[in-house]
Amino acid sequence: MPAADLATFEDRFSRAARGVRARLLLRRMTAGAAVGLVAGAAAAGALWSIRAGELRPWSAALGLLGALAGAAVALRRRWTDEEVALFLDARLGAGEAIVTALEARRSEADRGGPRGTILRAAAEALSRADRRALRVRWLERWYGAGALAAAGVAWASLAPLPPEPPAPPAPPGAEIVRLPGLLGLEKIEALETLGGRDAAQEERLRGLAAEARKLRADLARGVERRDAQARVARLRDDLAAERLRLGDRANRPGREAAVGKLAERQLSGAAKALGDGDLAEFDREMQKLANQQEAESRRAAREALEEAARAAREKGAEALARALEAQRELFAKREASAQALRELARELDGKLSDEARRDLEEFGRSGDPEAQRRLAESLGKALEGLDADERRRLAERLEQRMEGSGGSGASPMTREQLEELARRLRTPEGRAELEEQLRELARPEASPDAQRERGLGEAERGGAEAERGLGGVPMPGGGTSGGGEEPGRGGSERGSPGAGPSPSGGDPSAPGGPGSRKDHGRGAHGGETPRVDGREVRSKASGRLGGGAPLHGATTGRAPARAGETAEQAGSGALGEVGPGEVEGMDRSEVPEEYREHVGRYFQP
Amino acid sequence: MSDDATSFPARLERASAATRALRDAIGQMIVGQVAVVDQVLWALLGGGHVLLEGAPGLGKTLLVKTLASALDLSFSRIQFTPDLMPSDVTGTNVLVLGGAAGGAGRFELHRGPIFGQVVLADEINRATPKTQSALLEAMAEHAVTIAGTRHPLEEPFFVLATQNPIEMEGTYPLPEAQLDRFLLKVVIPDPTEDELTAILERTTAHAVALPSRILGRDDVLALRALCRDVAVAEPVTRYAARLVSASSPDAPGASDLVKRALRYGAGVRGGQALVLAAKAVALLEGRAQVAFSDVQRVAAPVLRHRLIRSFEGEADGVTTDAVVASLVGGVPARPEGVERALQGR
Repeated sequence: MPAADLATFEDRFSRAARGVRARLLLRRMTAGAAVGLVAGAAAAGALWSIRAGELRPWSAALGLLGALAGAAVALRRRWTDEEVALFLDARLGAGEAIVTALEARRSEADRGGPRGTILRAAAEALSRADRRALRVRWLERWYGAGALAAAGVAWASLAPLPPEPPAPPAPPGAEIVRLPGLLGLEKIEALETLGGRDAAQEERLRGLAAEARKLRADLARGVERRDAQARVARLRDDLAAERLRLGDRANRPGREAAVGKLAERQLSGAAKALGDGDLAEFDREMQKLANQQEAESRRAAREALEEAARAAREKGAEALARALEAQRELFAKREASAQALRELARELDGKLSDEARRDLEEFGRSGDPEAQRRLAESLGKALEGLDADERRRLAERLEQRMEGSGGSGASPMTREQLEELARRLRTPEGRAELEEQLRELARPEASPDAQRERGLGEAERGGAEAERGLGGVPMPGGGTSGGGEEPGRGGSERGSPGAGPSPSGGDPSAPGGPGSRKDHGRGAHGGETPRVDGREVRSKASGRLGGGAPLHGATTGRAPARAGETAEQAGSGALGEVGPGEVEGMDRSEVPEEYREHVGRYFQP
Repeated sequence: MSDDATSFPARLERASAATRALRDAIGQMIVGQVAVVDQVLWALLGGGHVLLEGAPGLGKTLLVKTLASALDLSFSRIQFTPDLMPSDVTGTNVLVLGGAAGGAGRFELHRGPIFGQVVLADEINRATPKTQSALLEAMAEHAVTIAGTRHPLEEPFFVLATQNPIEMEGTYPLPEAQLDRFLLKVVIPDPTEDELTAILERTTAHAVALPSRILGRDDVLALRALCRDVAVAEPVTRYAARLVSASSPDAPGASDLVKRALRYGAGVRGGQALVLAAKAVALLEGRAQVAFSDVQRVAAPVLRHRLIRSFEGEADGVTTDAVVASLVGGVPARPEGVERALQGR
C-alpha cells in the first residue's frame, strides 16, 4: 500500500510539476520577448532617425532574441521539485503536504510513522486539484508594452525616412584659392636683392623671399585659403621681427648706449630715430647733419657717431656698431658732397634763380635732403644756362680760389676737390660728368641700413597687401610711420611735403591736412557727413583698412610672453622689446630724482 | 486489529477524537476562550508549560481545574505568596520518631505540591525569585532535588502558571531567562458581551460539576509521542528558523522595528518551541505534517515572552505582539520566486 501511495504521488506530482515548469518557461519567454520588442522598438526608432532604412525590420529580431534569452533564464533558474511542491501546496491549500511528501518519499517506510499518511494526503491533494489552479500566470499586464513595441517596430519600419539634414558648412577658410598673381608677394620676394647687414640677416632675408616665392607657386596650384592666410601672417610676423631685430635682447643694451651717446651730443632727432629702431629716419637725420653748413656741428655729429658705434660695440651690439660705422663713412662722403654743392652755388651765385636761392638758404639752414635735391637740380639748370665764357670764368675763379687757399684750408672744399671741379668745367666731357654728378646729388644716397629698412617696410606693406588679397583683414604692421612733424604729401599750396613715407597717400589734388601739432593746417576743412536715409542705423565702413603704412610700434604676431611674468624677466619677441616711450622713461617718471639712478640700475636688463 | 491500531492514521484518528472530546468537556465549563483552550492543549500535547496572563476573574484557575479533572491526572495548586518558601513547593524531609516501641526516628519525604501532574502555580509573580526558581527548575528538569536526593516527577508533568498583569505592587516579575521555560505565554482576552452574559448566567446558577475523566495518563503520553511523530518539511523548519533569526536585532536582515524595539530576540529555545507547538497544532487539526500557517499561528504565544524589549521599545509602547506580527508579515515563508509566482495569480 505505501508503495502504491508513493507511485501515485510520484506520478501526479511529476505531471503537475511539468505543467508548472512549462508555464514558467512560457512566462519567462514572453517577458523576454516583451523586453526584446521594447528594445527593438527603440532600435528601430534610432535606425529611423539615422536613416538606416534597410536595417529597421531587423530590430524585430530583438524580440526573438529576448524570447530566447528568457528561455535561457528559465532553464537556468528552473524550479526545483521543492519549489514546485511549495507552489502546489500554496495553490492547493494542502498544508505543505506535498513538500513534506517529497521528503517523506526519500525516507524509509516505517510502520507507525506518518510517511504513508503524508504521501496519501499529498496524492489526494494533487488529484483533487483543478488544472487551472495549477497554472502559473504567464501573462502580465506590462507585457502589453511588448505588443505596443511590436507595433512601433512595424511603424518605424514602414514610415518614410526623415529628410537628409543640410550638410554642415565647410569650416571658414577651407576653400581652395588659386591666385597666381597675388599682389604684394613680389615685394617680399624682392628682399633677396636687398643684401643683409651680415650673413645671418642675408640668409634670413633670402629665406623670407624663398617662402614668398613658394607661397606664390602654391597659390598658382591652389591652396586652402586659411593655409595661405596663415603663411602670409607668418611672413608678416617674420618681417616685423626682422625690423625689430636691432632692439632685441642682444642688441638692446647697445642700442640704448648708442642712443645715449647721440643724446649727449644734442642729436635728439637722430637719437629718437635710432631709439625707435627707424634706421631710415636715422639716415635722414644724419644726412641733415652732414649737410649742415657749420663745420663744428658736423664734427660733433661725426664724433657722436664714433662714440655711439664704440658704445654699441662695448655693449655687444656688433651689428648696430657696424651700422653706425657705415653711417659714419657715409657721413664723410655726404659732408663732402654738401660742401661741393655749397661751393658751386657760391660761384654760381649770380646765375641762380630765386627758387634756387631759397633752396640754397634752406639747405644751409636745415640740411634737408629734399632741399639738397632741389638745390642740385637748380645748380644743374644753372650750369646748363652758362655759355662757354661763363664756364671758363667759373673755372678760373675756382682755380684762383684754389691758388688763394694754397691748401691752407680756408675754403671749405679741399684742394683736390676744387681742382677736380675746375677741370670738369673746362672740358665738355667734364661738364657732362659734373652735370651727372649733380643729378646724383639730387638723389641723395641712402645708407645700406636705410635702404634695407625701406625694403623691409615695402615687404611688410606687400604682406598686408597679400593678406588683403586673400580676403583677410590685415593687422596693422610695424612699418615706418611718416615723419609726422610735417604736413603730408597732399597738394598743399606751399608744397613742403613731409619727408617720410606718409601713410595717408593723399590725393594730390586735395588740399593738404595738418601734419603735426606745429602745423595748424592750411587746407580746407569743410564738408559734412551725408544723411543716412534708412529705417535703421546700419552702416558699414567702406574705407580701406590699413591702406597706408602700418602704425609704428603696433604689436603683430604672437606674443611669447606669458601671464604672470614680471618686469624682472626679460621678454623675448615683439612684446619683450623696449618701446619708444620707454626710452629714458626713468627720467620722465615720478621717481624722485635722487633715486632714479638706483631704480634705473635695478630695472636695467 | 493491532496493526490498524498502531498505524499512524489510526493513532491520528484516536488523537483527534480525544482532543475533540477534551475540548467539548472544557467548553462545557469555560465560556468562549476557544483560542485559549486550544493554546493550552498545544502546550499539553507539545509537552511544555503554559504561562497564563489575564485579569482576575477570567477563568484561569477554572480552566486549569477543568483540564486537570478531564485528564484524570493528579492536580495540585500552589498559591504563590511572598512568604512562600521553596520547600513549600518542593517538599522537605521530616523527622518521624519511632513508634510505641521507641525505635529510632527516621526522615520521611513530605512531597510538596510540585509532585502533582497538573500543577497550578497561581499568581506566580507574587513569590520571591528564590521560590520561583525552585518551581522553574522543576519545570525544566522534570525533577526536584531535596536534601541532595533527586526525585523525578511523574509524567506527564504539566505546569500552568498564572499572573496578573494589572497588579504590580508586591510582585516579583519573572526573569526573562526563566520565562523561557514556558512553551507558551497565553494572554486571556476579555470576554465579549455574549460570552460575559453566558458566564454570568452559568456562574450565578447552581454549581456545575467538573467533567469526569476523559484522558488518562497513558493517553496523554501517547498524544505527546504522536505529536513528536508529526512530520515537518525542511522549508517549514527553515521558515521557523528565519523567524527566530529575524527577531534578533543584531541579525543582518533585521527590520528597523526589531532593531529599534528589541534588545534580545528569541533564542534556540524559541525555535524549538515554534516547531513543537506547530506540530501540536497540526495534530489537533488531524494532519500528519506541519504547515507554514501552523508556525504563523503559534508564533505569538511562543515568541511574545521571549522577546526582550529595549528601552526605546518600552518607551514607545511597542508590544512584543506587534513585533511578532511584523515578523510574520515580513519574513517570507517560501522562496522569492515562488512567492512572486503566487502573487501573480
